[in-house]
Amino acid sequence: MSDAVLDKQVKKQKTRKRKVDPEIGVSLSWKTLKVQKQLIFMSVPIAIYLIIFNYVPIWGWVMAFQNYHPALPFGQQEWVGFDQFKFLFSDDTFLLVLRNTIAMSFINLVLGTVTAIGLALLLNEIRVKFFKRIVQSISYLPHFLSWVIAAGIVATSLSIDDGIINVILMKLHLIKDPIMWLSEGKYFWGIVGASNVWKEVGWGTIIYLAAITSIDPSLYEAASIDGATRMQKMRYVTLPGIKATFVILLIMNIGHILDAGFELQYLLGNGLTIDYSQTIDIFVIKYGISMGNYSLATAAGIFKTIVSVILVFMANYTAKRLGEERLI
Amino acid sequence: MHKSAKRSAQAAAAGVLALTLALTGCGSGSNNTNTGGDAGGKNAASGGNATPAAAGDDNAPVTFSVFMNGPGQQPTPDNKILKLIKDETGITFNQEFLVGDLQQKLGVMIAGGDYPDIMSGDDKLINAKAYIPLEDLIEKYAPNLKKHYGAVWNQIKDESDGHIYVLPSYGVYQGKITEPTYQGPGFWLQKKVLEEMGYPTPKTLDEYFDIIAKYKEKHPDVIGFESLNFDWRVFPLQNAPEHLSGHPNDGAVIVDNNKAQIFADKDISKTYYKKLNEINAQGLMDKEAFVQNYDQYLAKVASGKVVGMFDQHWNFQDGEKSLISQGKLEDTYIGFPLLYPGYEEWYRDRGAVGTNRGFGISIKAKDPVRIIKFWDKMITEDWQKTLQWGVKGEDYEVNADGSFYRTPEQRANADQTSWQVANKISGMFGYMPKIQGTYSDGNAADAGTQPQEFFDSLKPYDQKILKAYNKKSWSEFFKEPKENNIYFPAYSIVLKDGSPAQLAQSKLNDLQVKYLPKAIMASPAEFDSVWQDYVDKIHKLDIKAYEDRINEGIQQRIEKWSVK
Repeated sequence: MSDAVLDKQVKKQKTRKRKVDPEIGVSLSWKTLKVQKQLIFMSVPIAIYLIIFNYVPIWGWVMAFQNYHPALPFGQQEWVGFDQFKFLFSDDTFLLVLRNTIAMSFINLVLGTVTAIGLALLLNEIRVKFFKRIVQSISYLPHFLSWVIAAGIVATSLSIDDGIINVILMKLHLIKDPIMWLSEGKYFWGIVGASNVWKEVGWGTIIYLAAITSIDPSLYEAASIDGATRMQKMRYVTLPGIKATFVILLIMNIGHILDAGFELQYLLGNGLTIDYSQTIDIFVIKYGISMGNYSLATAAGIFKTIVSVILVFMANYTAKRLGEERLI
Repeated sequence: MHKSAKRSAQAAAAGVLALTLALTGCGSGSNNTNTGGDAGGKNAASGGNATPAAAGDDNAPVTFSVFMNGPGQQPTPDNKILKLIKDETGITFNQEFLVGDLQQKLGVMIAGGDYPDIMSGDDKLINAKAYIPLEDLIEKYAPNLKKHYGAVWNQIKDESDGHIYVLPSYGVYQGKITEPTYQGPGFWLQKKVLEEMGYPTPKTLDEYFDIIAKYKEKHPDVIGFESLNFDWRVFPLQNAPEHLSGHPNDGAVIVDNNKAQIFADKDISKTYYKKLNEINAQGLMDKEAFVQNYDQYLAKVASGKVVGMFDQHWNFQDGEKSLISQGKLEDTYIGFPLLYPGYEEWYRDRGAVGTNRGFGISIKAKDPVRIIKFWDKMITEDWQKTLQWGVKGEDYEVNADGSFYRTPEQRANADQTSWQVANKISGMFGYMPKIQGTYSDGNAADAGTQPQEFFDSLKPYDQKILKAYNKKSWSEFFKEPKENNIYFPAYSIVLKDGSPAQLAQSKLNDLQVKYLPKAIMASPAEFDSVWQDYVDKIHKLDIKAYEDRINEGIQQRIEKWSVK
């Protein structure tokens, strides 16, 4: 488009009396649509993509209200109303897996965030570039391992014959006999939390480090002039500087509170720890998919989605009331 | 004015969205069902009436896609047997072995209605009506198959609607049953242990664990008794009581006088797990047995440190294979049929017809008649010899009295994976209808079951051990199998997806994997209270629904399967 045409359009927009809705920004009207037609055209493929892959599948939700049978046409499916949901919430196992899911998710969320911010703060204070890079690379490499491999490493480290954890604890004389970590339910959540930290801490740190670099250096200088120590600078400059990032990430992660994970728990869990290791996703596989009960699996999926949406909105609302950054 | 424009735009957008949703949603839904229904109808029809083209032109080149529900190795492109098949029938196969998780793969196939021409049998696919019925096709075009399956014709019909969807690959015998290697359940001991102890033959649990205890005393480094409690491979932990009490492998139930009941909560179980609890206290049980996964289990077997275990042979065979390839034959195992006093042995069984384990033809298959005619040709003795033994003069020899044997070189070849993929089609053949037992000329169906050939193929060490026990094969450590009960095995009785029976079975399994390790690892004083807790929990389940369904299945089988 030539500059002249652009100029003309800009002028036209400027001269037109526009009413700006404070909520939406620019109000939706045929005229704005026409003016922004290039933008509109560009977003059409995205919209189609979203409709096909994110909205059309919602149609499958009707399964949750049926006794779904794969081969039958839609008209012949048996409708059962809320029976699948009733089964879910009256089943002891489901309530147990719900507890496990929330507990492990919560542990992961807290531990993950705290360690990531902690590591970012510490890394930020390191002045030797080379050392900083090495630490960062080492800490985020496990992120690229698949959970299958990672779970193998975890299981081997926790093994009673020559697992590194037991060896270290015994050498330090903290324990007399090797502990069978994977045989006791009470250790399981801790193991999952620690494994997650080991695998993801470096990756989580990256975004906080990025946020820290965007803090205005003059703030640090001003703090120095006022006589702030290193710790005080971290406390009063760096931490408030990354608060916005923290809140946004927190809101997003709260939406995933019912996704405590599947692979790690599935691969590390066993009969002895089943009361603590089974998550919603494992429950869905076991009692839904592998029993051919797709309806139950869908019902559990809907439950997860609804809870997630509610949580995200709640977190977002709270952030807004507290005057913080928010997602939506 | 402005407001209304805005609103109309929004309304239009919302309308378009809703319409799109409705159209795509309904559209795809009804399309799927239509194609599914039509394809089924059409193919079933073409199955009934011969397609003229297919009947007339039997050797025209054609490619069939085949899905197999287990992992396997692709044959080489110039595979000898596939080439023979192509020359004789014009058929090539596009073989797909399972990669990854079966349930997930099946789920995707069923959801999309996207089936290959030939599929290995699966209850889930049968429930989804993914196969065409085969009985009319067989009556019309496949006299050899009809003869082959004649004796079990009623058994191979699907229980729910009486159609034959899958042609069983194993369990249809003719002639004599020779089975030198033993793949079933047993209490296993390492050969070097037996050698050192002077070739004992343990008959009871006490004798068995006595051998292990004595051996471990001298070699404290070994693992006395191993078990596995992982994923679906939980039977090493669960199944021993039924065998100890003289029952064949019926799964989670024992059947006496055609009446099935679970045995998890019975005394035959308590006795066994109490014994395991005792040996655990003695330090004979592997401490990690119940927290390890299958790979760790195999690794332990492959390390040669495990003295004994209760398991099905095929379940730990990969570990044993690794021992063999390391040349540590003395670390491999011999199975023993232990019994409680007063019970009669029934470890070995005549492999039941593997209903739903074999090949079926999918509703999307191009030319069902051609496929059924192909299988019919393959079940003839000449082809079976080619498929199982190989090519005469190349892969096996015939001596003066007509019995088949292999030269040492041919045996060495047959053991090599690289040779197998070029000269055998073991992967696909595993799922095809096959002759087991002996051919009409008296030779065993394949080299592995020819008695003399088997003994000759053993390494000197194994021959020495067998001679010490005065036996010719590993299966001779077990009694000849009794005639199967008509309903055998009860574990193959189909539980309806999502039924209370299935739910009870699944919950019972959950209780077992949780409480049995607990009971075994408890201190001997606590065993009884843990056991009581476990039994109480079992009795809270709807076990009756499960037992009723199994008993119903047994009665149905007795009624329908009996051959007049």
